[in-house]
Amino acid sequence: MANKKILIVDDDPDVLQGMHVRLKANRYDICLAVDTFSGVAEARRSEPDLILLDLGLPAGGGFLVMERLKMIPSLAIIPVIVVSARDGLGNQKRAFDAGAKAFLQKPVDDNQLLAVIRQALGEPAGTKKPTLYDQRAV
Amino acid sequence: MPKQPASNLSAYLSHELRNALACIHQFGNILVDGLAGELTGEQREYVSIMLENASRIRSVLDSALDGVPDPPEKCTTKI
Repeated sequence: MANKKILIVDDDPDVLQGMHVRLKANRYDICLAVDTFSGVAEARRSEPDLILLDLGLPAGGGFLVMERLKMIPSLAIIPVIVVSARDGLGNQKRAFDAGAKAFLQKPVDDNQLLAVIRQALGEPAGTKKPTLYDQRAV
Repeated sequence: MPKQPASNLSAYLSHELRNALACIHQFGNILVDGLAGELTGEQREYVSIMLENASRIRSVLDSALDGVPDPPEKCTTKI
């Protein structure tokens, strides 16, 4: 069975790298984007199964990304999980109103992130995919 | 740090510190979980101490900038 593909959109290269390592270790295929335009463009190009989206992005922001995705039928159905350092009070409601499946405030616990991703992808909650280290140990 | 209006200062600090903490947690856990190779017991202990202290900073941040020690809605889903 093919790995699920996740697009991570964040303007912080360290956050991108850290999430990339963590999700790759859990056998997800990863694609990356660093701003609003490249986020939408990469979503069109790679048609991911799920998008992890920061809100504070150059050239528009995460809400604009969600707005653009909604205008493209094939992309409008992709579940979006907002992962942001912004205050959750107002942004959480706005994210849900814009169609986000979940709102996580940074710093995010890895297990929590993986659980929300699995839920959004419809994967069994208890599925524990091997890490890179587990694979080497086999 | 760019000059910020006083009303935006706490939001700015919260955003920047949370992003930095996210990276500390992310890469610390990557090390502890062995994703970059197995650590010795001593190395694992030191990284764990680092992570515990990052969590303390997060608690202070939550308390100082959000006004409550442990906000009830850190993660909400409607899946």
